Amino acid sequence: MQRDEIFENLKIAIVEGDGIMARETSEQAVEADVDPLEAIEKGLAKGMEIVGDRFECGEAYLPELMMAGDAFKAAMEVLRPELLRQKKETTTAGTVVLASVKGDLHSIGKNILANVLETHGFSVVDVGVDNGALAIIQEAQKSNADVIGLSALMTTTMPAQREVIEALKELGLRDQYRVVVGGGPVTQEWADEIGADGFGENAIQAVELLKGLVA
Amino acid sequence: MIDFLDVCERAETGPLMTERDFELKVLIPGLRGVVKEYDIQYDKETPVPADNDLADRVYEASLDYLARVGIYCQDTNRVIKFTEQEIRDVVARAPGECFTGEGKDASVFRVRQPDDGTAARCHVNWGTVHSSWEMAIDIMSANVAHPEAKGISISAVNKTVRGRQITAGSPLEMYAGIRAIRTAREALRRAGRPGLPMMNLVPAAASAVTTIGASGPQFGARTTDGWIIGIISENKLDYGAMNKVAYLLNWGANIGSQGAPSLGGYCGGPAGTSVVNTAYFLLGLIGMKADYHLCFPIHFRHGCCSTRDVLWVVSTSSQAGSRNVPIPVIWLGYMAAGVNTKMYFYEAAAYLLAACTSGADAVKMPTPAKGVKIDASTPMEARFGIEMVKAASRLDREEANELVIKLLEMYETRIPEAPQGDRYQDCYDPETATPSDGYLRLYDEVKNELSAVGIPFE
Repeated sequence: MQRDEIFENLKIAIVEGDGIMARETSEQAVEADVDPLEAIEKGLAKGMEIVGDRFECGEAYLPELMMAGDAFKAAMEVLRPELLRQKKETTTAGTVVLASVKGDLHSIGKNILANVLETHGFSVVDVGVDNGALAIIQEAQKSNADVIGLSALMTTTMPAQREVIEALKELGLRDQYRVVVGGGPVTQEWADEIGADGFGENAIQAVELLKGLVA
Repeated sequence: MIDFLDVCERAETGPLMTERDFELKVLIPGLRGVVKEYDIQYDKETPVPADNDLADRVYEASLDYLARVGIYCQDTNRVIKFTEQEIRDVVARAPGECFTGEGKDASVFRVRQPDDGTAARCHVNWGTVHSSWEMAIDIMSANVAHPEAKGISISAVNKTVRGRQITAGSPLEMYAGIRAIRTAREALRRAGRPGLPMMNLVPAAASAVTTIGASGPQFGARTTDGWIIGIISENKLDYGAMNKVAYLLNWGANIGSQGAPSLGGYCGGPAGTSVVNTAYFLLGLIGMKADYHLCFPIHFRHGCCSTRDVLWVVSTSSQAGSRNVPIPVIWLGYMAAGVNTKMYFYEAAAYLLAACTSGADAVKMPTPAKGVKIDASTPMEARFGIEMVKAASRLDREEANELVIKLLEMYETRIPEAPQGDRYQDCYDPETATPSDGYLRLYDEVKNELSAVGIPFE
């Protein structure tokens, strides 16, 4: 198989959300001695870009994002050992820890954002729902995050976003992370009031915000 | 027939899997499969279809979907499964009505049909947050003064209790939950309607402990009120929700399952969202022993229910449910625009036309400003909603479709930048609880415009 054909098939596998095809094509890439970084950049990343663009213009939804992300991971299981062997490193747009704050069990908005960020090259650590401030901060430290994203869908859970920022200050860690907030009742005014670094009304806005913050 | 203890048992014995596997390997392929097999296709040119065959296919797809996918229990990581026959048995034995309220405000909440010719049941007020208890009482009292109001969603508490910030799951949430019920009952008494059912108990309670603790009769709650228990999007429950069901079943109180499928989320596009929304009527009956259901399919990006594709979901799933699932459903719409804006009324008119002519059993008056702006509701929205419900009863689906298309042209492109509008105190005199001259003028102008479009107001 030609290199260009491998790149094209990797891209198609991502767009179709086909994990089996992504894995098999990655194996073919390794056998054909294709540079794994090139396979990622010219194949997988291109596919993720297409899915991200489709999502932004309303032609794709969360299932397509999730399946693309899953196919990407399947391919990376093959390509990552090859990267290590060749002592090459991938770059990410930044590492983001995402959490629904204490008391908040809503996850769908956060999950959409996690998947959209991945299609834009961010590394995402999703710590789930109902997280206390310390647990979120510990996860940010562990993953060496650039950004902490806090979701709250109820007016009674919004104060927990402030708690995370206050806890960062108490621990002397506020300068180490950008903190962004979102969720149904959250506004720019609230973000300003609690000293957050940014607010995203929806996933698309949040991606642009994070690109600016991490740049 | 399946009882709730069977559901609890299956939550501990069903197939074990991670939540991610449930989403990727069960839910998404299961939904995609039925959408294809039953040929459910979104038609953007027809936001309110008059197609009984489509409605019945959506129903059959939803039943098949629920049987294939089940409900994921987040506490046990197991899938609660039901067979198709078990679901059909529950549907066959569902009463199709729910007894609500007391005294002269007692009423039977019944199912309707598409093109019914009767007015949908009106539920007034919203769970929106107000900045003072006095304001909440004034607005609730004014809203229930409409004789057409058969139920109320009581206002959520403001953000503090005696100056202390309420946080989810804390003891202060318990104080706030109790006070919300007591305050609402006082508002109903002041308005001369003490028996009117409160159908959204307990608003703003994040925890089962608050819901259960605040629900004692000593605080004003009655079995003839209604308790909303949310399905976690999508197709998930947790022990918090199931504990609420267990408590209410033992007390004999009305249970309202709540589904809010997100168009663009796990459901994918409009076809999948319609199937999931309909499946939630069934899930309410079989998995939560619900007496009624409350739903608001919502757009994942815009956070409102007035987009063209969501209106199609509202119409098709309402038709599917009304024709096939005997559970009374309250339809709740979040509008993008806020109070004292023309756009709010255009959106509300479109939403109510789509829902009512498609067989919605009850409608909650559409919520301004996506329900997230504090103090962003007034009694004028209920007045408009009731007039619209009556107008919709004079129309059928085909007529509604033509009107909804015209209305969409009046607001559709402005949804991303919708005006957030006023707060109550900006356009009402809080002393006399009367609207400002400016709001009254805008209201009259809007009604004239909508009459010119063809909406048959009285």
